[in-house]
Amino acid sequence: MRGSRPLMLAFLILAVVFAAATIFYFTQKTNFLASGRPAVHWKHALVFLALMVLSLVAANFARPKSLRA
Amino acid sequence: MLGAGLILFLAALQGVTELFPVSSLGHAVVVPRLIGLNFNESSPAFVPVLALLHLGTAGALLFLYRRDWVRIIRGFFRAAVRGRIEDPDQRLAMLLVVGTVPAGIIGFLLQDPLKSLFGDPRAASVFLIVNGAILFAAEMFRRRDERRRAQGDTGVLAHEEDDPAYAGIDGLSLRTAVIVGVFQAGALIPGISRSGITMAAGLVAGLRHEEAARFAFLLATPIILAAGLLEVPTLGSDASTLGVGIAAAALAGLLAYASARFLLRYLRLGRLDPFAYYCAALGAAGLVFIH
Repeated sequence: MRGSRPLMLAFLILAVVFAAATIFYFTQKTNFLASGRPAVHWKHALVFLALMVLSLVAANFARPKSLRA
Repeated sequence: MLGAGLILFLAALQGVTELFPVSSLGHAVVVPRLIGLNFNESSPAFVPVLALLHLGTAGALLFLYRRDWVRIIRGFFRAAVRGRIEDPDQRLAMLLVVGTVPAGIIGFLLQDPLKSLFGDPRAASVFLIVNGAILFAAEMFRRRDERRRAQGDTGVLAHEEDDPAYAGIDGLSLRTAVIVGVFQAGALIPGISRSGITMAAGLVAGLRHEEAARFAFLLATPIILAAGLLEVPTLGSDASTLGVGIAAAALAGLLAYASARFLLRYLRLGRLDPFAYYCAALGAAGLVFIH
């Protein structure tokens, strides 16, 4: 993947969104994007946690060459 | 409560059909009804058993490709930290990641709605026929390509082993891996085979038959493993089933391992046509005999 600052920032923003979703699902009782009564959906939290990690990996790939170590 | 005999039968069914391109979910919906078993795969009592069966199957795949997985996991972390791909193992790791993410997200969000929508045995029978058509179409595409390259007739069932005209997994692009991953989500529909649709996509993308199966198995492992692990907390809900469940998981794992080894050997020269015909026949039987 060629380095691209906008793409890197997009993935970082995505990672922040997924991090927020992870915290939300771990701590709040809800049935948003989930079936059944409002409850703590730890599976959803784990999925968003995995997506957060992958977004950070993608951001690292998208880092422009000038910013690479 | 599920009987031990039923659990072991379902384990055998799962073990064989999970990796063959014939839809394990379709079989779980259609076959019990065809042979007169009253069984609801969606029943809460079956969830812990299903988790164990998935763990058994995933275990078989991890064992089959244990050396590959060590390299893949190491390659993933190296590529993730460095932010670039530097060797084939890192490339394969990233191919599997981009192939797994779409199916994982779609599966997680849509699994229950799709199951309830299409979990009817007659609907699954229709999709088994569709699955057969997908496999047949992929082989037709490959045969046409082989004829174009060889400028002659190719045998119905045999193709050249290690044909240099077709690639190994290294020949897959990231974009193709994403497309294959999206198509993998089609396996959420009972009757559509995850390995079948992935192998078909691999053939169309130019992989050798054996490599298409290898990619399908590697791609399936994280999803099958996740499906099992996410249900681990339910394992303690019914202690009486746990012992039989563990035996069933072992049976499913053994059969999955044997079927994977058989399929990889068969696909060195064989094609997917027999599986296409089988799926069509089973689907037709379901439509005729299930009311």
